[in-house]
Amino acid sequence: MLSAWRSGLAIACLVAATSVALLALGADLSTVASAKAEAVAEAAQDGMRRFGGGRRAAVAIDPGKADYDGRFSFVRLRYGPTFDGYSRREPPWAHDYPRADFHFLKILSEITFVRTFIDEGNILTLDDPDLSLFPIAYMSEPGFWTLSEEEMAGFRAYLQKGGFVIFDDFRDNHRANLVAQMRRVLPDARWVPLDPAHPVFHSFFEINSLDIMGYYGPAEWTGIFEDNDPAKRLMAIANYNHDLGEMWEFSDTGYLPVDLSNEAYKFGVNYVVYAMTH
Amino acid sequence: MFDALFRFFFDLSPVVFSQGEFRLAPSTGSYVAAVAVGVAVGLTLLAYRSGRGRARDRIALATIRVALLALILLCLFRPLLVVKAAVPQQNFLGVLLDDSRSMQIADYGGQQRAAFVRDEFGAPDRGLLKALSDRFTIRTFRFSAAPSRVTQEDLAFNGSQTRLGAALSGVRQELAGLPVAGLVMITDGADTADTALGDALLGLRAEGLPVFTVGVGQETLSKDIQVGRVVTPKTALKGTTLMVDVVLSQSGFDGQKVTIDVEDEGTLVSTQQVTLPDAGTPASIPVRFSVTEAGPRVLRFRVSPQPGELVTENNAREALIDVRDRKEKILYFEGEPRFELKFLRRAVTEDPNLIVTALQRTADNKYLRLGVDTPDELVAGFPKTREELFAYRGLILGSIEAGAFSGDQLRMIAEFVDRRGGGLLMLGGPRAFAEGGYAGTAVADVLPVVLDRSQVQPKDSVSRLSVKPTRAGNATAVTQLADTEAASVEKWESLPVVTAVNRIDAIKPGATILLSGTDETRRERPVLTFQRYGRGKSFAFTPQDSWVWQMHASIPVDDMTHENYWRQLLRWLVDGVPDQVEPNTMTERVEPGEAAEITANVVDPSFVELNDAAVVVRVTGPDGAVSDVPMAWDGEHSGQYNASIPTKAPGWYEARLEATRGGKTVGSTVTHFRAAPGDIEFFDATMRAATLKRIADDTGGRFYQAGGTATLADDLRYTGRGVTTVEEHDLWHLPIVLILLVGLLCAEWGYRRVVGLA
Repeated sequence: MLSAWRSGLAIACLVAATSVALLALGADLSTVASAKAEAVAEAAQDGMRRFGGGRRAAVAIDPGKADYDGRFSFVRLRYGPTFDGYSRREPPWAHDYPRADFHFLKILSEITFVRTFIDEGNILTLDDPDLSLFPIAYMSEPGFWTLSEEEMAGFRAYLQKGGFVIFDDFRDNHRANLVAQMRRVLPDARWVPLDPAHPVFHSFFEINSLDIMGYYGPAEWTGIFEDNDPAKRLMAIANYNHDLGEMWEFSDTGYLPVDLSNEAYKFGVNYVVYAMTH
Repeated sequence: MFDALFRFFFDLSPVVFSQGEFRLAPSTGSYVAAVAVGVAVGLTLLAYRSGRGRARDRIALATIRVALLALILLCLFRPLLVVKAAVPQQNFLGVLLDDSRSMQIADYGGQQRAAFVRDEFGAPDRGLLKALSDRFTIRTFRFSAAPSRVTQEDLAFNGSQTRLGAALSGVRQELAGLPVAGLVMITDGADTADTALGDALLGLRAEGLPVFTVGVGQETLSKDIQVGRVVTPKTALKGTTLMVDVVLSQSGFDGQKVTIDVEDEGTLVSTQQVTLPDAGTPASIPVRFSVTEAGPRVLRFRVSPQPGELVTENNAREALIDVRDRKEKILYFEGEPRFELKFLRRAVTEDPNLIVTALQRTADNKYLRLGVDTPDELVAGFPKTREELFAYRGLILGSIEAGAFSGDQLRMIAEFVDRRGGGLLMLGGPRAFAEGGYAGTAVADVLPVVLDRSQVQPKDSVSRLSVKPTRAGNATAVTQLADTEAASVEKWESLPVVTAVNRIDAIKPGATILLSGTDETRRERPVLTFQRYGRGKSFAFTPQDSWVWQMHASIPVDDMTHENYWRQLLRWLVDGVPDQVEPNTMTERVEPGEAAEITANVVDPSFVELNDAAVVVRVTGPDGAVSDVPMAWDGEHSGQYNASIPTKAPGWYEARLEATRGGKTVGSTVTHFRAAPGDIEFFDATMRAATLKRIADDTGGRFYQAGGTATLADDLRYTGRGVTTVEEHDLWHLPIVLILLVGLLCAEWGYRRVVGLA
């Protein structure tokens, strides 16, 4: 309990310190992602506009490439039309990229002993063979998710062999699309509401209540278990009405209360530690 | 042949010469003759001092002449051979007849070896028995294990073992006090006793009792296949796949293909085709099978009899394996969250006999406990006492640095292997091996690889390894991924590369590399290395991500390679790890009526040997009868207790060992043995001439082949034992003397002819 409290405090301090520092520098994000400073800054500025209600019409996203070397890499799942690194509009899978990804990696590496890439990540499709080298994946806006047959087969094998996926940033009827697409991937899988007692909420931080107001409304956590048995491994987790990525993304801006970012990081850290141990 | 030649020249048996004493019996005339011979020698030398011919010819002729005169002089002094000869019918003779099953082997002129016994000892008025009876009072014994008095009708040749030493000692004691001329042992010499012959021979030698051995049968079987030895573990976990060495030898079947079948209580569990080795060269064949039924299991390893085989009973060997159906607990301490822990635990989660309890360090001083039995288990982190650590049977150290342990904890880990007998496995990772600071620690002593703190892999340097089994790995079940060696090798070659961040350049002298990896520079690196250390064993597995063998896109969903590899490795990790009360059944099978010797080691929870425990074996026989047999500390080895458990009826015997100390239970365990007749008589059942010759030589007797016993009865007269009379044999008229005299004369004449002095 003491360790969890100390780690929580550390996150809060880290988030606050990062926020102040970056604000003082006029939100120069080059310190966050030095390797891809230009793209990161552009996307970050786009994100900030989005947070204020606007969206850029056209975006350039560096797909990134963290060659597997044993370390944990944040893998953002890409779906939809073929992507060449440039989009007329920010595609839904790229929401909060890259600042959310890299902020999360930084927090994860500071808080835990997980060895991570810090400023590199991977954007992979579900049928990309490299996906198998990264057994934890993150998908944003699954309400817009579409699947080819190859992607469906690749994702099914990924989950059945031991992969873990986080669905984030969706609301309203977007859930119907997630359910429909997952039914194609795992026809027999059932979404099960998660209880705060589930180990995923206690793998690092002690999250004892899920009575949380999410980004879009009261948040709900559901999951898919191996063989539909809640005693077995959790293969997929969905944060309905919530947007952890958004909170990670702006954790260094001061636009969001520190507490919200703090809590969002706790969920993310727990997901990763759980998926690495279960 | 030698005997006949000897008799031709010397007119007597070699035995007479070996037992006799050489003497001269000169008369007065002998001394006169000596003077005459001396004069003759002088004249000879004078004559040859000068004269015709070359000097060397004269010297040669003089030498021949002097030799001739010396021989004549020797004969005039009347040389004698004085020997003690047994007085007829005044002495006893012990005759030991081999009554064991190996005497049924038909390699005595196409007949059973027993035929020789029947022919020679079947009737009192013929054969060897008559020849011996004419000279001695015969006491006949049969033997397989202990000897007993018999008549010919009693012989059935069905004894299940041959104990030459026990038979000789028994007969010696039986005939003690009687005037015994010697012992005659008719046997094939195929001794099946565990003990050496030395003690029995020592007694005979001390008593001066000679043994005349008669070997029946051939020293090499013309056509035979033998399953010589099978090396199996005493215990195994239910469901374990074992790879055991079956030692095959043959004669007359060079290069022939045969099938080795493995049967578990009559059910075929494995079959494998092999090519027989060259004649006389035993070959060790690795055979793979699984034990799927719990309890004492008799595994039978069999090669089908081939046409023309003389002995088919030695085509099969049986081995007892106590298959245990229990959960073996392994502690996995991982220093950083990583996928290796998840996939390793997942690989064995369906294994009913393995429990991997994980202590996952997630951050500084922050731990996640997985698979614990009680709320208190590991609550304070890695065990701090030996009792706590030694409760596990296996220990896996993941990417956890040495600095995470206290000095005592590092010593505890070493003792876990050395003293407790547990299995230690260190996995690759940035905090493992030398990179984790283990060089120079107590743990480094235990590991099978050499750690050098000056030879660490640069940080962020990763090697990508293609893994394949070594020759030793191919002969080990743990690294077998398919039913056959070829399929297993193919499977290994198809697996994706794994990464390693530890530099291992050398292994310990007693270690074995089972898996090796080839990196990007084509350099070979050890991947899985194993060694026995103290009572336990240790492994080093250098990759940091074997989970790739499960997750990689090239691996089908239903592929079980990763699961099988880890199940096999972890089962081996805990295989044979002792309990606090650990039985060692010295003999897994005894003959019905014989006693089974059992030893057990008893230790306290920190595995310190106890010499003051009360240990009892509760024996349940095949008829359900229960009896308690106390075990006593042997007084020599710390913590070791012995008991001798009598058997009656054939069948399985369960032995439950229970140890208490101060009224508290130390531990208990169950083992099994069986009382049943065996086929041991038919293994290595050739006639052992060397053994029989040794018995004869060590005791002053002689060794005879079954077909050459004509002189045996006469030879026995001259052992010098019993009631004897002194015989004097003149030697001057031996044929050899005449031949020498004539030879010397001819030599002188011939030499003269050759050099022109005739």
